[in-house]
Amino acid sequence: MAEYIVKENALKDFFKALTEGGKRRFLAPAEVSGKLQMIETDPEKVSLDFGNTHQSPKSAFFPQTEKLMAFHKDTAKSDPFVYKPLGLDETAPMVLFGLRPCDARGLVVCDRVFQNNRFTDPYWKSKYESAVKIGLACHDPRPACFCTAVGGSPFGEAGLDAIAFVRDGGLALKTLSAEGGEFLKGLSGLESAEIGAELAEKKQAAEAGMPGPLDQSKVAGAAVMEIYNQPHWKDTADRCLNCGTCTFVCPTCHCFDIQDEQNEKGGLRMRNWDTCMSWLYTVHGTGHNPRPTKTERMRQRFMHKLKYIPMKQDGACGCIGCGRCVTLCPVNIDIREVARQMNG
Amino acid sequence: MSEFEPKIVAFFCNWCTYGAADLAGVSRLDYPPNFRVVRLPCTGRLNPKYILEAFKRGADGVWISGCHPGDCHYIAGNYHARRKFMLLHHMLEAVGLEPGRLHFSWISSAEANKFQEIAREVVEKVRACGPNVNFRKAELDLGLPEVA
Amino acid sequence: MTSLPDLNQKIQSAAKRLLAEGKAEVVIGCRQGTTPMTVAPIFCRTEDDCNQLIWSNFAKINLATYLPKYPGKVAIIAKGCDARSAVGQVVEKQIERENLYIVGVACGGLVDVEQIQAREPRPIRAAEEDWATIKLSGDGWSSSLPKEDVLRRNCKTCVSRTPEGVADELIGEPTEALPADDYADLKALAGQSLEEKMAYFKGLVKNCLRCYACRNACPLCYCPVCFVDETRPQWLGKSQDEMDTFTFHLLRAFHCSGRCTSCGGCEAACPMDIKLREFNRLLDEEVQKDWNYLPGLSWDQTPPLTTYRPDDEADFIK
Repeated sequence: MAEYIVKENALKDFFKALTEGGKRRFLAPAEVSGKLQMIETDPEKVSLDFGNTHQSPKSAFFPQTEKLMAFHKDTAKSDPFVYKPLGLDETAPMVLFGLRPCDARGLVVCDRVFQNNRFTDPYWKSKYESAVKIGLACHDPRPACFCTAVGGSPFGEAGLDAIAFVRDGGLALKTLSAEGGEFLKGLSGLESAEIGAELAEKKQAAEAGMPGPLDQSKVAGAAVMEIYNQPHWKDTADRCLNCGTCTFVCPTCHCFDIQDEQNEKGGLRMRNWDTCMSWLYTVHGTGHNPRPTKTERMRQRFMHKLKYIPMKQDGACGCIGCGRCVTLCPVNIDIREVARQMNG
Repeated sequence: MSEFEPKIVAFFCNWCTYGAADLAGVSRLDYPPNFRVVRLPCTGRLNPKYILEAFKRGADGVWISGCHPGDCHYIAGNYHARRKFMLLHHMLEAVGLEPGRLHFSWISSAEANKFQEIAREVVEKVRACGPNVNFRKAELDLGLPEVA
Repeated sequence: MTSLPDLNQKIQSAAKRLLAEGKAEVVIGCRQGTTPMTVAPIFCRTEDDCNQLIWSNFAKINLATYLPKYPGKVAIIAKGCDARSAVGQVVEKQIERENLYIVGVACGGLVDVEQIQAREPRPIRAAEEDWATIKLSGDGWSSSLPKEDVLRRNCKTCVSRTPEGVADELIGEPTEALPADDYADLKALAGQSLEEKMAYFKGLVKNCLRCYACRNACPLCYCPVCFVDETRPQWLGKSQDEMDTFTFHLLRAFHCSGRCTSCGGCEAACPMDIKLREFNRLLDEEVQKDWNYLPGLSWDQTPPLTTYRPDDEADFIK
């Protein structure tokens, strides 16, 4: 593990160097239409002073609309009507700077959905494996932040190749993985330094004001049906609008809907984000809907985050505490409240 | 000839304009062949989404035609339709649809001459607007590598 | 000036009384939210629930949204716009008048959290409110904003701040209606080129995620199956195609024409802060011009698209 600093006047050089002379796509928090987002941006326009990006960075690896495969209908050519995969071979690798530690943990949750011992999603894998992920620790967690409540930290290291924090207008960095160490070695703008003590001190300071662990022991121990049949779901569902905002901004929501579109020239298969809050999500061809009302749909989301993902991912919580759903829910359904009700 | 030939989707009421088109045909009144007709039981049946769908799928123009006010087979279908058209027409022009793309008319089944005249007018106006690029869905970008 | 604790007190006792008298099985209102500047709708069935009821400048969505899906006798703590939407639902026969009890609360306008954050970018750890001022505080700072400066856009042209005439009872001192929207910006836009108009309206929705929160938050969107969810045929693609998104917004607004009460619930629910009401305003302007109709102001109104006049003028029809 190597430790570096980047002086304020060397920041731009450093960001440019991260693209490895244009070989990598550079993604960082930058403003787009008045909102800070993790997007492909000019190294000149990176923002270091922010709470978190408006949307989660999952779209870098799992875009809202992603083309999977296509075919053409030109019978003069040798391969009409044959589906060919798209975008697996020539994707330029990415470097992400400024991932908040909560979001990096969110990517780890998604990664285990898209790559596990049962199957591997090549579209996720081709982007995720080759990406270098540099985190930016939170000195100043926002009012709705609760990463510490679900096992994270504003200085958390999971899922990151290196972590940085802002220091005198510049950066201090610590590499976390072998790939990160290899990647950063010798990049322009970096100076070797000892930052370990400072990092530990800042971590403690940032965590000090944050909420303590959310007790999920009973949820972990209970049978699925026991939680499933709890009476509180109906009360929360009363005010849920099933609008799906929570799922669209969530860093660990990963459901998608595969759609085909075609015209006279050819056809395209793509996947689009979907939301379990939608009636359409579960409706069958027969018209039967196993989740007929908003109560079942809302329960599904919380059960998935707080029970099913922990069951499938060795206890890791499906909520990483970024607070986006809490802030953006139009009717203030707070996952912390629901988690407490589920536990007790 | 390289002149642009517009594609127009026409929604005709079964009880009047559809008959007028038929009468124009048997009367050997010639009119341009640029529109494809969708027969409706009444203009009141026209859901505004049909119009947007036609544009979205690449129609260069849309023409809706029904019975004269007061002559509706279902008594008031076209009166109700007229109110919807007023709003829809206003909204689409306000968001930037060329005024020559969307046409409405009342043509009874006896008015073959009016049908011929309006058909010509609609086609010419849509032709003048050129191909629909702003209200259609983008071409599918298949992104396939070239194969011989 | 109205005092909020006093107003809350009156709302709470009204709610308790209605439950006790059996005039309602549930009272729908708002309670304090879990983070600063949020409120949560609450369905009060017990006295404890009623004690949580508040009036807040931070209320987001229109509570009438909940009514069509709710069987049985319901009371609603309604601002002017909530009451108008509830009346609209009765007029459209989505709910029964005798199952509805409107506790009208005179409203002084709601605030737009986005505007507050634009003026106060520091992290806001706590917010206090009274009738006319919003007091904010954070780590070692505090400031206050006049509510007038951060009002929601729809609240600046509200013609029905007090739900007079339709409420079964009224709480608070009536507030004066404001001058109606003059649509000056839309009129100016109408004079511009087609390209400019299109760029403006397509630009409004370019960040749309198609989450349909605007639809779900809308008290008018009660269709059992929305056209965007129809699959046979599928009217809208599911991708982020610009025209699919644009069509959704045009049709969403069209379906609300002559029914929209300008509550601003759609904009408040939108996670991307899209100015959705611009589409509705286009149609509101036309509805008022053609038929001089404002929805939700009386029980015996006839919505303009459910009726007609033989002499409706439509000179664009050949």
